Amino acid sequence: MTSGIELQNVDYAYARTQVLRGLSFMIEPADFFIIIGPNGSGKTTLMRLICGLEKPSSGRVTILGRSIQSFNRKRLAQKIAFVPQSTPLDFPFTVFDVVLMGRSPYQGMLGMENKTDVEKARQAIAFTGITGLADRKISQLSGGERQLAFIARAICQEPTLLLLDEPTASLDLAHQIHIMDLMEKLQSEKNTTIVMVSHDVNLAAMYASRLLLLNKGEVAFIGSAEDVLTYQNLEASYGCPLLVDQNPMGAVPRVTLVPGKYIPKKKT
Amino acid sequence: MTVTPVWAQQHQVIDLLGRSMSVPVNPRRVVALAPNITEIVYALGQAQRLVGATTYSDFPQAAAALPKVGSYVHLDLERIVALNPDLCIAIKDGNPIATVTRLESFRIPVYAVDPKNLKSVMDTIMRVGILLQAENKAKQLISNMQNRIQVVAERIAQADHRPKVFFQIGIAPIVSVGTNTFIHELIEMAGAHNLAAGNIAYPRYSKEQVLGMLPDIIIVTSMAREAAFERIRNDWYQWQDLPAVKHQRVYIQESNLFDRPSPRLVDALETLARLIHPELFEDSL
Amino acid sequence: MRATESNIIKRLIKVTGVLLVVLVLALLIGLSIGSSGSSLTALWNGLSRSESSDSVLMTILWKIRLPRVLLAALVGGALSLGGLVFQALLRNPLAEPYILGISGGSAIGAIVGILLGFSQFPGITLTSFGASLATLILILGISAGQSILRKNALLLSGVMVNAFCSAVIMFLVSMTQDTRLHNIIFWLMGDLSLGNLQHTIILALFLIPCFVVIFMYANTMNLMLMGKDMAQSMGVNIRRANLVLLLVTSLMVSACVSQCGLIGFVGLVIPHLFRLFLGPDHRLLLPACILGGGAYMVLCDLLARAIPQQGELPAGVITALIGAPLFIYLLKRSNP
Repeated sequence: MTSGIELQNVDYAYARTQVLRGLSFMIEPADFFIIIGPNGSGKTTLMRLICGLEKPSSGRVTILGRSIQSFNRKRLAQKIAFVPQSTPLDFPFTVFDVVLMGRSPYQGMLGMENKTDVEKARQAIAFTGITGLADRKISQLSGGERQLAFIARAICQEPTLLLLDEPTASLDLAHQIHIMDLMEKLQSEKNTTIVMVSHDVNLAAMYASRLLLLNKGEVAFIGSAEDVLTYQNLEASYGCPLLVDQNPMGAVPRVTLVPGKYIPKKKT
Repeated sequence: MTVTPVWAQQHQVIDLLGRSMSVPVNPRRVVALAPNITEIVYALGQAQRLVGATTYSDFPQAAAALPKVGSYVHLDLERIVALNPDLCIAIKDGNPIATVTRLESFRIPVYAVDPKNLKSVMDTIMRVGILLQAENKAKQLISNMQNRIQVVAERIAQADHRPKVFFQIGIAPIVSVGTNTFIHELIEMAGAHNLAAGNIAYPRYSKEQVLGMLPDIIIVTSMAREAAFERIRNDWYQWQDLPAVKHQRVYIQESNLFDRPSPRLVDALETLARLIHPELFEDSL
Repeated sequence: MRATESNIIKRLIKVTGVLLVVLVLALLIGLSIGSSGSSLTALWNGLSRSESSDSVLMTILWKIRLPRVLLAALVGGALSLGGLVFQALLRNPLAEPYILGISGGSAIGAIVGILLGFSQFPGITLTSFGASLATLILILGISAGQSILRKNALLLSGVMVNAFCSAVIMFLVSMTQDTRLHNIIFWLMGDLSLGNLQHTIILALFLIPCFVVIFMYANTMNLMLMGKDMAQSMGVNIRRANLVLLLVTSLMVSACVSQCGLIGFVGLVIPHLFRLFLGPDHRLLLPACILGGGAYMVLCDLLARAIPQQGELPAGVITALIGAPLFIYLLKRSNP
């Protein structure tokens, strides 16, 4: 239970809109926890709540049994690292600089790094597999490479919990797999709890230890991939016809979209 | 005990702002901090004492050769100090107080005057004259000025009308002079009525307002040159209904004569009088 | 990983050392040149206080030039730092230290002070400073409600308030016909000649703590460049950082402006110049801007004093004449 996160009856409202409602669930330590759901279901907001970037309107988010709000920001940053969906592009820091910044929760205010920090940055870069990019400027990298750099930065933070908001969105296929494998490696080698928002249901199915299907701000379904990814559950949440069968590579469901032309017309 | 040589002797004086200070009995390195001060020193025949003057000290011609110390509203402290003056003469209206204070902190005495009309110009001439050991010359100058003023006054007394004068000191926008200026004083003494008289020292007018006032005479002062003079005059000549235009009485005058409170104010007065009442001055003054 | 292997502390010492030398050189050159002549031997005599140095020279060196070059260095450093911080805070490369209404507000305060007949110290300095702070509060108030576009709201409010103040200033200027008009114009163009050593020291006592506080947030500024969310998730208290940086920087810039008028282009150009050579790390940029900006201002002021025959140019004119082409050149250098 040491690094588990628990949500107790969490509501979140913004500008008179109820975005999240009655969320209560637990994320176990070393979970690979993936949140899926249609657009507008509140996934990103949920992620920000778990991160501590937003406060719930009611209810609590706890980590280590303590409410997230009670943590000192820097201490929290030593436990939770966050890779947001998009980052601004307009600064010419090198990859190494960016990864090194991940050490700031452990540094004084002036942020002067020592030898240990530099070494840990190197290790994070090696772990992520981007050693060749270390001296390149972030602004000159491709989308996938940039994402890896920010993930390396998060790894450098040595968190017990790593949160990623749609890390594979709009990346090419090789980078998508590379990132998911990297997360699995983190989970198995360093016991890091991974919490991810994903738009790719199949990718989520192949990696997640637990899935949460979020719909209209509420927990629609939570559990293993087999439990959650049934066509009834999915069609109810996503509102479109889907075909669910077995993934040829393993014991997880596979979800296929159904184009209109394959749906038999009703006979009059 | 050392004996102070004659040339280094000092005495206490009080300037025209009531400030008390110690100045040399025989000042030999004087800096004039305004163009009208320069004119006054030259008029007193004491130009040999001057070691520096402000940028626009252009009268008399010889003054242009003096080392320049910046403009009177923005004095160059370093240039003044480099001249090693033993006395500076400042004017209240224009010289920045901060600069005067700093000069005094360097132990350079600054004698302040406030010439803003004929009377105070004459006071200034008197006090500066005493300051520069030229008291007699000062008296002579003042007496001469008073005589000339008297002559003008006597002739003007014979005038049977007071023309309406619009005195324009600013071209765009049109600016004239109110009661609290020395130009107003000169206009009245020259036997005319200043159309812009009033509380505002430098009131502005639109063209229509001036046309509405129907001035008999328009006098424009400008630092511009001949070509611009023609343009300004033609600008007014468009308005045929103006008495000033009908009688061809739009005059351009050099601004230095009229905006500098110096002994030449009397020249300005005579010029004005001749322009306004030519009938009284057909023989020369 | 070659470039990234060198220690930040070593780099910091190198940058600070080099620029400190540059600044001292600039100060010495500034002391030896002036409107009454330039002479290095005179400076040497003055510095060594030998018997042959006369009191006029000493007065010029120590009572006229020294306060002035020190003031130039202080103001140049503070304005450059102000530009750097606002460029980071507002994430806008065109941000300069006056952008949050400081130029408009302080100018109105100064003009009111001049029209009321106050002298520069303490009257005009105080009215200018006070008006500047009032404008800042106004802008904070206007942009407080909007949360999402908060950065843009701040920027936009600042620009609008400055524009409004410009109109008011033009009105006040057009209404003034007497000699006070000259004082107003000089103030608006920037004027480093107004203070003595005491005023410069008072300003230094105010500015140096500001430098220190801002330096403590140098690393935070780096983190903030990566976006609010990432910075916050790395332990930065974004709200407090924004507030502290905003307030301290505004106070710093207001203090400079209220003493020297509006000297422009320094705060815009110097951060870009050093970013080109030193990269985006604020821990290096900060001391670089302070020292380098100071040296730049000393040299600009030098030109303002030494070039014209008839009396000096306002400092703001030189910084604009040099700064604008320099900025264009930097633009071309960084966008090949």
